[in-house]
Parts: sequence; structure tokens; C-alpha cells
Amino acid sequence: MLLRKVCLVMECNVQLEEALLATCKELQVKVSSDFTGIALQQSNSTDIKWPFVAGNCNEKYKFITVRYGKGIAGKVIATGSPMTIEHFPDNIIGKSIEYPIMLAENLISAYARPIMLNGRPKGAVLIGFRKKYTIQQNADEVIKTLIEKIEDLIKRIYNSN
Amino acid sequence: MELNAINGASTYIIQSQDEEIKRIALELHEGISQNLFSVFTGLEVLQNNMTNPDMASYAQELKDIMSRTIQEVRLLSVELYPTTLTTLGLTAALSSYIKLYTSTFGIIVEIISNGKEKTISEGKSMALFRSCQEALINIAKYADTANAKIVFTWNQDSLTIEIEDIGKGFNIEAVTAGNSCKGIAAMKERMFIAGGNFQLFSTIGKGTKVIFTLPISC
Ligand SMILES: Nc1ncnc2c1ncn2[C@@H]1O[C@H](COP(=O)(O)OP(=O)(O)OP(=O)(O)O)[C@@H](O)[C@H]1O
Ligand SMILES: [Mg+2]
Repeated sequence: MLLRKVCLVMECNVQLEEALLATCKELQVKVSSDFTGIALQQSNSTDIKWPFVAGNCNEKYKFITVRYGKGIAGKVIATGSPMTIEHFPDNIIGKSIEYPIMLAENLISAYARPIMLNGRPKGAVLIGFRKKYTIQQNADEVIKTLIEKIEDLIKRIYNSN
Repeated sequence: MELNAINGASTYIIQSQDEEIKRIALELHEGISQNLFSVFTGLEVLQNNMTNPDMASYAQELKDIMSRTIQEVRLLSVELYPTTLTTLGLTAALSSYIKLYTSTFGIIVEIISNGKEKTISEGKSMALFRSCQEALINIAKYADTANAKIVFTWNQDSLTIEIEDIGKGFNIEAVTAGNSCKGIAAMKERMFIAGGNFQLFSTIGKGTKVIFTLPISC
């Protein structure tokens, strides 16, 4: 009985994770970004990883642990506010090596927003471009809606654990 | 006199900068880290004695922030100055740096070691450590590759370290003609001060290789 319940929870999580990946891809397509990634604080540690990405040009993201307060995702999670990089590595705060995902995926422009869970930043969504690009104003609405969807899915994963 | 004076000055700058960095790293490691850890354990005691669940969960948040801070301070201190260099030796210190490097940049580094490791002076190990760090960081910044290789060869009276990537490569002449090769210049300078030798090879589209050679005496 208990085993069955555990299996159900696991199956449910797999579905939620697939939905998260699909939403990540949807975001990439809708804003025509080159790369979109979701950085998340892991549930049982303070480590931040990139579990869901779309448009990646290599596998480096799998091995990266984002350092709290470092890089675009780390800063967004630490401050809970959005961040934009217009033309990496010009005019960035700190050194280029503090932005591993920008280096790993050869990104030039990026836009990141926090993912909130119970009123606190739990992760970040990164929308990146491999050439200089400014996100259109009207994309804001799409991004907002999809981030809400991501937040809802993450909430369900956390609650089922 | 000119050349000698300049070399002397840059030797002095590199050495005094290294000492200052070491001082800060040790202060972070031994002073600040220890204090933060005491605060963390104190918070835990307070939390366990809290009856109000809201307060307890607030204490948990503070503990989370504290453990992230402790972790950050530890990483920062290791990055600045690896204390393992003098206690466990060059290979161990570099291996642990490489672990941090992989989890930072996502680049996998294959480590190959030939021959038996020998003890080398702190000054020499530091020169090698810093130079390897610079070469690896250049790979993360410019090579556009997910893999790198580092080969240690311990001979009777010398050590050779080769760091290689099969990445973008670059035109050494064009790059060194400009005045923006501080990293490459520093590797050369550090190896020179340590009494060793630095070589750089790169081919566009094929990759880059740096070789550090250092005489060691036992
Ligand atoms: N492994 C590598 N692959 C491709 N290009 C490289 C590599 N290493 C160095 N380069 C090129 O050589 C240039 C000079 O490197 P160097 O380390 O001297 O300076 P830097 O890394 O740009 O700046 P600094 O090291 O001072 O932070 C780099 O700008 C880059 O173009
Ligand atoms: Mg450099």
C-alpha cells in the first residue's frame, strides 16, 4: 500500500518534471531565445543546479553548481529581483568567470527572473541569446505567464515530497 | 640596469601580492569561518529551544543563510589560497581545485599523472598552482570546449605539467602583439621567478596547450 503510494508520487513527479521541461521549451520558442534554463535550489541542500534547459549547445550545464550570489542566476536568487545583461562581458558586475552559464553557452544577452516559492526566491529562469538582443516589451506578458506556470509546477513538486 | 630593475619590481609585486592574498585567505579560513560556525551552532541551540513554530522556522531560515555563507567563505578562501598545497602537496591541491572548477564551469578535466610525486617548496608549488589555475580559467573563458586534460610528469629532477584543450585555439602572435595578455605574461613571469620554463602552443580550430617545466631538487 505504502509502496503503491510512493510509486504514485514518483510517477506524479516524473510528469511534473516533464511538464517543467516542456514549459522551459515553450518559453524558448515563444520568446525566440537561443537558450532557456531553469536554475533551482535543490530541495535538500542549498546547492543550485540547472535541472531544466532548452537550446543548450553542450552538456556543461549538467555539471554546474551555481554559487549563491554569483552569476546571473545566483544574483537573481539572492536578491529576488530580475536582472539583465545587455552585452556580455561588457559592463558586468565582477568578472566574466563569475558568470559560468554565460560562458558555457556562449551567451551575449540575457534576461533572468526569480522563481518564487512561498514568497521566497527558490530559483531563476534565464532567457539567453548568442548575439546582442533586447527582449521586446510585448514578450513580458508571455514570460510572466510562463513563469507563473513554472512556479505552480515547482510548488506541486515540493508539496508532493 | 633597466631590464633587471623591471624584473625585480615585478617579482616583488607578485610576491607581495601573493603574501597579501594568503593573509586574507587564512583570516577567512581561520578567523571568520570559525566565528560563523559558532553562530551557526548557537542558532541551532536556540532553534531547538523554541516553542513558537514561526520563530523556529525563522531560525531555520537564518541557519540556511548561515550555512550558505560558511560555504561561500570556504570556497573563497580555497580559491584565494589552497592550504592543502603545503599539507597535502601540489597534486592533491590541484585535484581539489579541479573539482571546484568542474562544478563551476561544467568542464571535465582528465588528470593523468606519470612518475612519483616529490615534495617541492611552497614558492614553487604556488607558482605552478597559480599558473595551472590561469591556464584552466583561460580554457573556461575562451576555448569553448567541455573537456580539458592535465598531465603531470614527475622525473628525477624536474616536473612537467601540460594543460591541453581541443577547443577554439587562437593566434598567439596576434594576441601577444596587443597589450592585453596579462594572464599569459603572469604565467611566464611566475615560472621565470620559480626558475622554470613556460611554453605555449595554439592552433586555431585545433586547440591550445601550455607546458610548465620546473627543475626540482630533493
Ligand atoms: N585556452 C585558450 N583557448 C582559446 N583562446 C585562448 C586560450 N587561452 C588564451 N586565449 C586567448 O589569449 C588571450 C590572452 O589570454 P590571457 O590569459 O593573457 O588574458 P585574459 O584571459 O584575456 O585576461 P586575464 O588573464 O588578464 O584575465 C585571451 O584573450 C584569448 O583570446
Ligand atoms: Mg587569462
